[in-house]
This record gives sequence, C-alpha cells and structure tokens, in this order.
Amino acid sequence: MDAYFWIILVVGLLSTVLCLGAGILKKAPNDVTILSVVAVEVALAVYLVGSLVRVIAGEPIAGEAWEFWGYLATAMLLPPAAIYWSILERTRWSNFVLAAVGVTALVMAARMNQIWY
Amino acid sequence: MKDQQAQPAAGEAPVRNTRNTGPGRLLIAVYGVFAISATARAGYQILTKFSEAPLAYLLSAFAAVVYILATVSLAKAGTTWFKVSVAAVLVELAGVLVVGTLSVLDSVQFPHETVWSLFGRGYGFIPLLLPILGLVWLYRRRPSQANAAQ
Repeated sequence: MDAYFWIILVVGLLSTVLCLGAGILKKAPNDVTILSVVAVEVALAVYLVGSLVRVIAGEPIAGEAWEFWGYLATAMLLPPAAIYWSILERTRWSNFVLAAVGVTALVMAARMNQIWY
Repeated sequence: MKDQQAQPAAGEAPVRNTRNTGPGRLLIAVYGVFAISATARAGYQILTKFSEAPLAYLLSAFAAVVYILATVSLAKAGTTWFKVSVAAVLVELAGVLVVGTLSVLDSVQFPHETVWSLFGRGYGFIPLLLPILGLVWLYRRRPSQANAAQ
C-alpha cells in the first residue's frame, strides 16, 4: 500500500464518518458533507496525476494497466454522481448515499494498489 | 421530515407509486455500484479467461444483468416497474443463496469468482443483505399502499 492509498483511506473514512453522522442526526446534505465528498474526488485526482507521472517516468504497472485505469476512472465518476443524486432530493437519506462514496473509493483504491504492485 | 412539508396538510402525505425516494435512494445507489462493478468484472472475466471457468463467469454475467435490472426498475415509478423490481430482487436473493451454498459445498465447480460466491463474502456480505433490504423496501412502498392513499 502506497501513500496514495493512505491519503484516500484517511479522506474517504473521514468523509464517510461525516456523512453517516449527518444522516444519523437527520440532517440534509450540507456544505460540510458535500465538500467532504469533493475532497474524496480531489484525493482520487491526486492519485491520477501521480500515477500518470509515474507511468510517464517509466515505472511499470505489475497488473493489467487498463484494469488499473478502469478502476480509477470509475472511482472518479462516483463522487460527482453521488453529489448530483443527493442534490435532487435533499433528505437525510442522501447523506447515506454520500457516505457510501468514501468507503467505495477506499475499497477501489486498495484494489488499484494490488494491481499496480 | 422537512421534505414532507410541501405535501398537502391533510393528515397523511399521499404515498406515490414510486420506490426512488428516501431510503430507496440509498438502495438504488448501492445497487448501481454493484451493477457497475459486476458488469465490469463479468466483462473482464469473459473477455480474458472465459474457458477457465465458463459456468462461474456466466453466473457473473447473469448477476450483472440482475443488478442492472434491479437498479433501473427501482428508480422507475409505476406498478409494472414495481413487479420487475420484485422479480429482480427475488432472483437476486435466490442467486446469492443457491450460489453461496453451492460454493461452500463444491468449491471445485464453483470457484470463488462470482459476486454471490460464499454469500458475497468478498463484498462484505452486502450481496446477501441487499435483496433482504430490497424486499423490505418494496413491501413498504407496494402499489396498494399508494392506491389506498390516493
């Protein structure tokens, strides 16, 4: 597991805990929960840029390259999709949808790390 | 509770014939993630190593179709889509129970390579939990409830 994974682990878990907490407190999605999901997207973007730099610098991906990029692209689609979905109906349940993003990104980052090394 | 204030103030808010509101949104989101991951996984398995375990990979593809159907039908309104949802979720429940049991009993014929193997252990048992929560939600939002309120 490399630094990119640990960044996504921390940001993802933080986002999930914040969104879960807000949902349990019966709050609708607000700036804090939505921005925490934006932070997950930023962490994934850092992973993307870092990986591009490493590939260009000549570092090989041990597993299937397209599988790695497929995971990364899919993971990066989740935060915008969840935010859009949560804005359409602003109830506490949308915070649980947002909460799902952090853990999903975390699982996908773990898998991406396995593919890379 | 704020979201219900817009409804007419006459006691109970009318229940519409939909499943895509409140907890249903979370359910649809999770189904959506499973639809994407199951499709990607099945596509990958069939394209790269189909001959290794055709049965398991066909099951993967079947699971992917069931998840897509469940996601779409839960998001749609109306009684027909409700029935499609019930069918998809029941098939999913049967699938996870049958494949889960077979993968425990006969791990040669059922290598641990589908979403439903070992009752979805590889996915935190969410595949086992999802159809149960799905049926509870479908029951609570069944069309007769909507008709009675209208």
